[in-house]
Amino acid sequence: MAGEEKAGSEGYLIGYERELKTIAEAIEQSGSDTPSHIAIIAEPMGGRTTIVAEIRRLYGDRVYYLPLEFVIKQDALPDFTCLVNDIILIDNCQFLTTRVIGGFDVLDTFLRMQITSKKIFITTWNAHSWQYLSSVMSIDAYFPTIVALSKIDTPVLKQIILTRHKSGEIRFLDEGSAERSIFFSVIHRTVRLPFTSTEISVPWIKLNFFVMRSGLSRKKRVQISIEDIIFEKINRISDGNTGVAILLWDTSLKDNTISLSAITENSYSISLDTNESFILSVILSMESLHAKDLSAIAAGEMDIERVLYRLVQQDLVIDNAGYYSIAPFALKHVTDYLRKTRRLW
Amino acid sequence: MAVSLLPNVTTDLQLPIKTIDANLVLYIVLVIVIAYVLTYLLSFILVRFSERIGWYRTSVTMIIPLLKLLIYAFALYYIIIAVIEPSLTQIVAFSGLFGAAIGFGLKDLFADIVGGVVIIFEKPYQIGDKVTIGDKYGEVKDIGIRSTRIKTPADELVSVPNFTLFSQPVTSGNAGDLAMMIVIDLFIHPDSDAEKAMKILKEALVTSKYVIISNKYPYTVLLEDFPFYKRVRAKGYVNDLRLEFEFKSEVTRRAWTEFKKAGIQPPAFVPPSTDKGGQSPASR
Repeated sequence: MAGEEKAGSEGYLIGYERELKTIAEAIEQSGSDTPSHIAIIAEPMGGRTTIVAEIRRLYGDRVYYLPLEFVIKQDALPDFTCLVNDIILIDNCQFLTTRVIGGFDVLDTFLRMQITSKKIFITTWNAHSWQYLSSVMSIDAYFPTIVALSKIDTPVLKQIILTRHKSGEIRFLDEGSAERSIFFSVIHRTVRLPFTSTEISVPWIKLNFFVMRSGLSRKKRVQISIEDIIFEKINRISDGNTGVAILLWDTSLKDNTISLSAITENSYSISLDTNESFILSVILSMESLHAKDLSAIAAGEMDIERVLYRLVQQDLVIDNAGYYSIAPFALKHVTDYLRKTRRLW
Repeated sequence: MAVSLLPNVTTDLQLPIKTIDANLVLYIVLVIVIAYVLTYLLSFILVRFSERIGWYRTSVTMIIPLLKLLIYAFALYYIIIAVIEPSLTQIVAFSGLFGAAIGFGLKDLFADIVGGVVIIFEKPYQIGDKVTIGDKYGEVKDIGIRSTRIKTPADELVSVPNFTLFSQPVTSGNAGDLAMMIVIDLFIHPDSDAEKAMKILKEALVTSKYVIISNKYPYTVLLEDFPFYKRVRAKGYVNDLRLEFEFKSEVTRRAWTEFKKAGIQPPAFVPPSTDKGGQSPASR
């Protein structure tokens, strides 16, 4: 979350203007009798914190802010009716549920309270958790306004990142024009042979998407700046995820200098059994879960310590003082794997 | 007119059969071996490939029978032209006669081959489906030219002649999809809190590690009252049909653990099970 937190804390909002306008309109149009509750949905590190910070900045004292950081119990749910604020902003609402029998009771209570309240509820949700809850209990029916934060494009990412630095502060190191002056370049990639664990290095054609998309003539191609190529690479690796992209930028930046070779892409060879895939999907949906909550979800059906060890050992999950979350750079690979194996619907 | 045409037909049907020598026999054997190896290799590669692509597993395996048919058709064609070097007219004329002549002797074999062709094109089931053919239930592992191989829950490999398609009802539990609906019945005491039991079973289903839920794969929980017990029935889709028994077992186990905590009792009279050892989804 480091990248996303940093982006949000600096008080700018680039790339989410349309989403913020939708939220503002929903708030303005909400009558006192028929509040239009809002759900903001995004993938992990996908920009929710930035939006939340902006809503708090725009609406100031009207907002009661409740960030959820872990799975909450029934008695921990505050009584919103006695608050003077007319906007209730609850961050990380996926923590209102947990994937066990009886794990939806808090959410049921919350939704009943929400639909009988005259206040406007703005809630943020992990996109995978939202999808699950929509399928299981049609949660989307409770929110007339649903704002899904989409993946960002390279120009927007460039703008977001460069705004964090002074003009001319960053030096983009040009290591040669070979990669940007042609449509593709030959690289060597390690490939795992099918049905075996052997890895071999094979020549691979790497497409230069930016140049191809630009459709520029050969003469003009050399005019594409190294800056654009670098941001294209960052956006491709981060799969349009703002938080991951900013984290990758911060990791690759050395002494205010960045080069293409400094931006490294991790490769993952994911091989998991049913229990490991399930726990991985739960962690992805909840973003961060304590070992105790994971043990409750496992409910004696599996050896949770072994499962967590395997996930951490494969660099898919990180253990932060007992709280488990998906490793930021593994996010895209984990999501793709879980979609392929039907753990995400 | 008929009299004048008959001698012509008779002349056309005289086959230019080659001399059968050791080379020709070797050639025929080679064609058959190549066809067999090719079908085996293709099946092996496509099945392994299908295991790696998740959602589209059955989409890949469904083309295996078609490829097999094509390879064997080509092999047959090469054998025929090696033996008789016929013209197109002769092939058409003699394929009928050849089929009829051999059909009398090997009626069942040809009926199975026709059944195989029908299975390939009509697709009542595909490789990877969970099917019931006659009294046999299991996953279709292979659709051959003559028979369909089914792996039963007891890990037996049963060869069902393809002709069975014409004489017995065939039920496919998933119709080419990887997900399959599973029905889970739990029986509770008539005095137990049925509403609570339904809630517990619903949550056991939707929190299962094997379940898939969407508009395409909905779930439902139903209650039915019987004289000596109540039946709580959950219907939901398992995300991979190979895990149907694990899914059923997990949901049942977790639901009963919660039933006990909630004071929900099993009935004094247990209805006789219609499940023939996991033999058929219909019986469940």
